[in-house]
Amino acid sequence: MNPTPKHFSFKAMGSFCEIQLFDESRIRVKNVVNQLAEEVARLEKKYSRFREDSFLTEINSSAGNKLGLAIDDETQSLFDHALNCFEQSDGLFDITAGALNKIWDFKKALVPSQAQIDVARAHVGLNKLSCKDSHIHLPRDMQIDFGGIVKEYAADSVARLARSLGVEHGLVNLGGDFSVIGSQPGNKPWAVGISSPVSESGVMAKIELNDGGLASSGDYERFFMHEGKRYSHILNPMTGWPSNGLRAVSIAANLCSVAGSAATIAMLKDESEAKAWLEDSGLACVYMDSEEKIGSAGLNSKN
Amino acid sequence: MKDSASRNIIALSTTALALPGIALADAPPTQSTISYKLSNYQEDDLSRSETPFGDLERYDIDVHQFQLVSPLGRNMSLHVDANYESLSGASPWYTSRSLDGEPIVNLSGASGISDRRTELSIGSRYYLENGSFGGNIGYSEEDDYRAIYFGFNTEKHYNNDLTTVSAGLSYSSDKVFPTDAALFNRVEEDDKQSSSLFVSVSQIINQVSSFQSALSFTEQSGFLSDPYKLRDFRPDDKTQIAWSNSYRRFFVSANAALHVNYRYYHDDFGISSHTSDLSWHQNLGRTFQIVPTLRYYNQSAAEFFTNVDDFLNPISEYQSSDYRLSAFGAVSGGFSVIADMNSWKITLTAERYLANDKYSAYDVSLPSTALVKYNRISLGIDFRF
Repeated sequence: MNPTPKHFSFKAMGSFCEIQLFDESRIRVKNVVNQLAEEVARLEKKYSRFREDSFLTEINSSAGNKLGLAIDDETQSLFDHALNCFEQSDGLFDITAGALNKIWDFKKALVPSQAQIDVARAHVGLNKLSCKDSHIHLPRDMQIDFGGIVKEYAADSVARLARSLGVEHGLVNLGGDFSVIGSQPGNKPWAVGISSPVSESGVMAKIELNDGGLASSGDYERFFMHEGKRYSHILNPMTGWPSNGLRAVSIAANLCSVAGSAATIAMLKDESEAKAWLEDSGLACVYMDSEEKIGSAGLNSKN
Repeated sequence: MKDSASRNIIALSTTALALPGIALADAPPTQSTISYKLSNYQEDDLSRSETPFGDLERYDIDVHQFQLVSPLGRNMSLHVDANYESLSGASPWYTSRSLDGEPIVNLSGASGISDRRTELSIGSRYYLENGSFGGNIGYSEEDDYRAIYFGFNTEKHYNNDLTTVSAGLSYSSDKVFPTDAALFNRVEEDDKQSSSLFVSVSQIINQVSSFQSALSFTEQSGFLSDPYKLRDFRPDDKTQIAWSNSYRRFFVSANAALHVNYRYYHDDFGISSHTSDLSWHQNLGRTFQIVPTLRYYNQSAAEFFTNVDDFLNPISEYQSSDYRLSAFGAVSGGFSVIADMNSWKITLTAERYLANDKYSAYDVSLPSTALVKYNRISLGIDFRF
């Protein structure tokens, strides 16, 4: 009997999550999926900004504590990766940018004053905190947000766990962050449709994955119009203002974590700079620019 | 520009690959495992021609092994091992010469021996970013033997986790107090100590193969003789060295792995030995694995080994007729069937072992008549939760 795809979905990390595994037995797949969902739940419980009992909340509550806080290896690795993202993007990708989100209220569609922005920016900057040797010192009024890192990491971690449980062909989708385990049986790649930020049900492109991961970043529905100007929810930590770059980008890489970091960095760059950076990165990607034109790099022409 | 963007991506990969859920590095167990293994070890009985008097039945040993491995907080694991062995049968007491001059074995006691061994060991391991360290302490007790031991070891990963170096040391303090000492003029009580040191390097060669080499030294001192043998007098110091190598290779097309091991051993009693084994780990689907194993063992005799106890020799002169000190070779073949379901793993193993002086590549001037043949069957059950 040939293995057929078995689909499972659940809600975690504030997103729709989906796992597709090829196997003959649905019961066996269900057992595997339960363990995979547990790993997602573990990471959500540990790194959710919205949970009182999360370790991230404990880290954020330690802000200003002179003694700092001991962190485990996993958290240290996430900080190492976040610091690397910060350095590779010259400060654009910053997990401490949370203070800016507080003053930009996208529901009320209000533009804050420059004074408010300057105050908030004083509490932003990953280079202001120290996190090494499993110990973090978070300055007062600074906050960490692992958005753009943890969900991507979870997708990779789940894929790795699935491999260790014997899965050979599978797809993990955590709210648009994809990590695949091998190709589909028969060396058939997984086709991931990239939805368009401008049309509700439209697919703007398709990216084929044989291995690795795919992540997207975009302002999709989260933006507002104010006095005729479009304000994206993606805030540039260097200026404190919304970035005026690409509308959306989807990137494929060897890991979902790498794809996600690259997508976030691309979104924060100025439009023309972002296009050139993506072109030169060597990664397969699809993007939509501010004029709603679709471009791509590193893809086979058939896509 | 081109260089810088692709350099950015490569740089991002380095920290992403180091994330514990992605990296293949050492990590504490995330689940607990309880294992139970029952083994039966049964030596073939001797024939009447080898043993004119007394029992023909040699050792029959049942071993029950329990193990619990459990995560302990974020970076630690706990290991608890408990073993229980029950032993019955007889072991060679002394050897003599038959009327036609051939050496014969005289087994101990008409009613044989029965003994129990209980062992408990507790250990813990602490996992760091690039390695781990751990220790254990244990206690073992028999009717006539008691040992207390402890060990410490550490391992560190280098070269993007492709190379692992580990080292460790252990110490054991043992006491021997033979039963019926007064009746048989045995030593009443004595002790011995062992200290061991090892270093090991393992290297992942590529995606499908790896190699490991380890060197260990053991120094034993104290009462190293067998108190139950009539004429057994050995030096009270022994230095052992062992060099072990293993190579593993996975064959993707066959969905199977080949394991090749070789071990060289030498001690200053004069014994050198070589052990080579070969096993093929064949996966059958996702659940089953079968493992055929072949082993060849070959050793030289201790300098003071004698196959016929010399009752005229002064007891101050080293001598022993223990078959384990003779020159011999042994071949064994085994077969395991492993079923790995999600939370359960069941392993069934059968092994046949044949020792014979004719299998030895070393010079066998004094063949032992007490060499063993045995069957070992074991059933192991692991439960993860």
